[in-house]
Order: sequence, then C-alpha cells, then structure tokens
Amino acid sequence: MGFDVNVVFQIAGLGIIVAMLHSVLKMIGKEDYAHWVTLLGFIVALFIVISLLSDLFQKVKSVFLFQN
Amino acid sequence: MISFLGASLILFSTSWMGFAMAKKVKERPKQLRELKVALQSLEAEIMYGHVPLDEAFGHLSRQLNEPIAAFFGELAGALQETASSVPILWEEALTRLAERSSLKKAELEVLQQFGSTLGRHDRDNQKRHIQLTLSHLERELDEATAAVATYEKLYKSVGVLSGLLLIILLI
Repeated sequence: MGFDVNVVFQIAGLGIIVAMLHSVLKMIGKEDYAHWVTLLGFIVALFIVISLLSDLFQKVKSVFLFQN
Repeated sequence: MISFLGASLILFSTSWMGFAMAKKVKERPKQLRELKVALQSLEAEIMYGHVPLDEAFGHLSRQLNEPIAAFFGELAGALQETASSVPILWEEALTRLAERSSLKKAELEVLQQFGSTLGRHDRDNQKRHIQLTLSHLERELDEATAAVATYEKLYKSVGVLSGLLLIILLI
C-alpha cells in the first residue's frame, strides 16, 4: 500500500495551527478574522483531501476499466 | 537537510516581521509621550523664556530621545540656515519624521496643523494652539496605549504561527 503517512501529519499540523490562530484572534477580540482564518484553513485541508481522493478514483478506474 | 534550512529561514523571517510590527506598536505611545513633553517645554520656552523658535527647537532636541530629538534638531538647523518660513520647514521635517518613527497618520495630521500655526500668532494665541494640540495628542495617546495591550501580542503570535503554517503547507 503506497499510502503516504506524511499527508495525515500535514493535515493534523494544519488543523492545530489554524486552531491556535483562531484562539489567538478570538482572545484579541477579532472574531471575524478568526472565522476567516478557520475557513481558509478548512479550504486548504479540503484541497489536500481532494487530491488524495482523485488519486483513489484514478486507481479505481485503472483497476476496473483497465486504463492508466 | 536543505528543506530544514529553508523551513528555518521561513520561520525566522515571518517571526521577525511579527516582532518588528509588535515593536512598532509598542514604540508609538512612547513617542507620543515624548511629543507631549516636547510641546509642553516649547510652551514654557515661548511663554516664560521668550526664546526664538530656532533656539527653542535646539533646546528641545537636546532634552528629548531619538526620533523626536532628530526632528527638532533638523528643524533648528534648517531655521538657522535658510530663510524659509517655519510651516514649510516644519512640514518637510514632519515627512522625514513619519518615515523614521512609528507615529500614525492621525497624530501626524495634528502635528501638521500645529506647524501651520507656528510663528503666526502672539504668545497667548500660540499657547492656546499648543494646548489644543496637547489635548489631541492626549486622545491619541490613550488610544495607542489601549492598542499596545492587544496588538503587540497579536502580531508576535501571528508572525510565528503563520511561519509554521507556511512550513507545513510547503513540506
């Protein structure tokens, strides 16, 4: 199984840092910026997940439809 | 190895940016206080000492600390050398002060208005203008001291955290 564990750590680190940024901004009293930062972090994480998912679908296609 | 080096460079530079901005926020109340002291002693020089402006500016630049002292020193030198009027020289010195100090647009505007009144009125009116400027600066000082508590911490932590975020995204 050629699964790259590093990507999981990357997403986890992204989550931790975005959560810290969120709490710092909220503590200062800038709730609106805090929400934007969280949303951006979520979108970036989503992009990483989507690239992994597209890998998966390519693999499924190559197994069942005999394509590369 | 090389990626580790790059990561530490990114972290270093973003943290440095954060700390530099935090320092700027922290310097602003100090410089505002310095400016208030300057205006108060200028008032004393005008009201009680009857000192001409160039000498008064020279005294001020010796009394005060850096960016503000350089501002008054420049003004004193320019007044002694050229025959230009005070408001024009004041404005030129003010643009140079704006680059060097962490003062914001609001107090620079107040100072510019004050400069346009310098050397135009008798002593009593000049005193009134100084009092007006002092009260404006007082308000800015209150606002700046309130900003230090929140923004200093914010800039520092956001600097470090954004560096970490960038590293994680690029790895």
